[in-house]
Amino acid sequence: MRFFALNKDKSDELRAFHHVFEFSRKKVQSVQTNWADCKKNPGLRFIFIQEGNFEWVIDNKTITVFPNDLVIIYPNQVLQSKMEAFDNGTYYSITILPKLFNEEKLVFGDWSSIPATEQLLIGKLFLLNRKSVFQNFKIAGEILKKIELEIFATEIGFKAIVNHLIDELVVYSTRQLSREENQRKHFPQTFHKFDQILRENLSHPWTVEEMAAILGLGTTTLNEKIRAYSGFSPLNYLINLRISESIRLLKNTDISITDIAFEMGFYSSQHFSSTFKKMTGYSPRYFRKTPESKEE
Amino acid sequence: MELLITIDIGTTAVRIVAFDFKGEKKAYKKGSYPTFHPQPDFSEQDPEQVFITVLFILKSLLNELFEDKKNKIKGIVFSSSMHSVLPIDKNGTPLGNALIWADNRAKKEAEKIKNSALGKIIYEATGTPIHAMSPLAKIAWIRENDAERFQKTYKFISLKEYVVHQFTNEYIIDYSLASATGLFNIRTLKWEQNSLDISGINENYLSETCPIYNSEAKLKPNLAKSLRLSANTKIILGSTDGCMATIGTGVFAEGQATISINSSGAVRVFGEEVLNDSNQRLFNYVLDKNQYISGGPTNNAGVVLDWFVSQFGSFQHGKDFEETMLNSLNEALHVSPGAEGLIFLPYLLGERAPIWNSNARGAYFGINIKHEPRHFVRATIEGIIFELFSIGKVIETYRNINEISLTGTVVTLPFWSNLVADIFGKKVNMNHSVNSINLGSALVGLTEMGVYANIEEAVKSIVKPDRIIEPKVHHHELYTKYYRIFSQLTQKFKEEFDLIAELQAG
Repeated sequence: MRFFALNKDKSDELRAFHHVFEFSRKKVQSVQTNWADCKKNPGLRFIFIQEGNFEWVIDNKTITVFPNDLVIIYPNQVLQSKMEAFDNGTYYSITILPKLFNEEKLVFGDWSSIPATEQLLIGKLFLLNRKSVFQNFKIAGEILKKIELEIFATEIGFKAIVNHLIDELVVYSTRQLSREENQRKHFPQTFHKFDQILRENLSHPWTVEEMAAILGLGTTTLNEKIRAYSGFSPLNYLINLRISESIRLLKNTDISITDIAFEMGFYSSQHFSSTFKKMTGYSPRYFRKTPESKEE
Repeated sequence: MELLITIDIGTTAVRIVAFDFKGEKKAYKKGSYPTFHPQPDFSEQDPEQVFITVLFILKSLLNELFEDKKNKIKGIVFSSSMHSVLPIDKNGTPLGNALIWADNRAKKEAEKIKNSALGKIIYEATGTPIHAMSPLAKIAWIRENDAERFQKTYKFISLKEYVVHQFTNEYIIDYSLASATGLFNIRTLKWEQNSLDISGINENYLSETCPIYNSEAKLKPNLAKSLRLSANTKIILGSTDGCMATIGTGVFAEGQATISINSSGAVRVFGEEVLNDSNQRLFNYVLDKNQYISGGPTNNAGVVLDWFVSQFGSFQHGKDFEETMLNSLNEALHVSPGAEGLIFLPYLLGERAPIWNSNARGAYFGINIKHEPRHFVRATIEGIIFELFSIGKVIETYRNINEISLTGTVVTLPFWSNLVADIFGKKVNMNHSVNSINLGSALVGLTEMGVYANIEEAVKSIVKPDRIIEPKVHHHELYTKYYRIFSQLTQKFKEEFDLIAELQAG
């Protein structure tokens, strides 16, 4: 059992991995008074608890973690120890630095073999859920152990294998994220979440694949389940939400029809008007609050 | 073929069914919309989304029907959930979302009205138990707590009136829906002055009241054109989901009752007199002059079992909620009646009828060392039906019930229907093939169009059960003993319900 702390630009072991900010296995045994690590997290950090238990605060939310739990800390989140908590145990930690990670996009970089479209989706899933603790997620511990062995052994091909293992860690966490979220849920609850996510991102150019990944379902199952529950195909449900919201904006604001079209994720005001007319039988202008337009 | 379209604007979805003139279902589509809970006691729906969904589903159903050139749409009948309140301004623009039946924000106002000198008088005049669900209390809440919205309000309407207004440009409300507002006198069939005074409004704030058969409003010409409907298509005002489900299951005589089990549940009877319950436990809604649908609603039906299974169901790898639910039911089937001495009080969401106590909470009673998860599943379902039975018992102090028509999402599950038969000790009729609310609307529509001489003839000609279940006498005897304990526990816990609810409120 070894303990180590590797840091980008300081440790030789990480020279081949510019996308790894830090990788460590630490033993902690102390009463925390003021934990050093209250800087904003620069990348995507994974912490796997091997022994003991920890009380941490992530963005003012307290979590208690136990062996085999995986903690994910997202970019710009702040991890702190709870004051005066007795932290005792060992954990692995790895922080990877994606090339780009914001509300719109996640790009890991050339080292990853996850296709670009799936990287985008993974980013969306992480940010929409922002789930911190994955309970009893042993596989993450196994992957981190392998990364440790590879990095220190530096046998032939270790670079490829380490990068591959990081991919694995990301993909398994993503799968666990959507699965855990939705499996125990009665479908109406899952649908409720689907509705909320769409509603908060009406201007986003949604694809069915994205919608499916967010609910942890395949596209076929998504289509079947959404249709059976709501009577709409997933994309038609989205259009339904966009049209309802447009009507509210038309009636209650002076925002121009063109601006409403773009805000609601339509390509152009023509696209908006034709979809609107097809759905409702009226042109958007009909719902403008001026009384004379009602005579149309 | 001549067809009638029925549109039910329900709590979770609009369901649209086309019927021929014999009452046969010809086409069906549904479209769902969500309920929002911006605060714990709030339950709201977006009127624009509800209307767009109605329109979209109607259009796509009509497109399908018009593929056959011989299909002619002669009429459209509406029904909806009760108790929603939507303030609108002079242009007909909604002032925010609608407060739906489940919205509980007006509980203090309701309590105040109920305990006031007018409480009893208003209940007797309007037929609606005084509760947060009642538009009477909701409007009072808006006046007290959202003065700005109240000031801007031109009318207080329901989601159904909003949709009907989009179709016809008229503000009209049927007697049934009006009689579920707490603002309508069920004998004079006029808005009730005492209620108007309490809500702080006058008649001008409300729609014009009409019989459920009213068909004077005309479809807007541009909407008719867009839907490819004839300008003469009759728009029949229709009734509420509760009234429609009652006649739609064939209940139209002494001795019959309807039990609906969906997420919430209800027991209802038809009668020519109201059930004037001195404890204000039962509702009396108007179907027509001197025709009433009376009964009581429970908050805790299907939703309670959904809760149980999602929390405690044995989710094996890869199994989703629906499969796990079926597994749980299967396990419960192998437990003997009474769950070997385990009793469940289902009051997870507080309760309406018959105890009308929003502080009531759930409990398992009688747990011993031999009880397994499957006993809890069975006890949970039995508890839900005991609660419906307790509503039936109150109704039976005024009316005999000899047979039951069962409707709702559980109808397809034999386990539930057998339990209803055994616990009530009565014959249970069911019809799997059609949504009873839409069928009820078809009965109203076909009567209005003169296909049947009156509603009674329509009910008797069209509604036929496709399955009948007889109660098992020995099971009923055993359940009677369990019910006694169930009922006593509910009574005894009154004080503890208040104490625990207070702690839970924090």
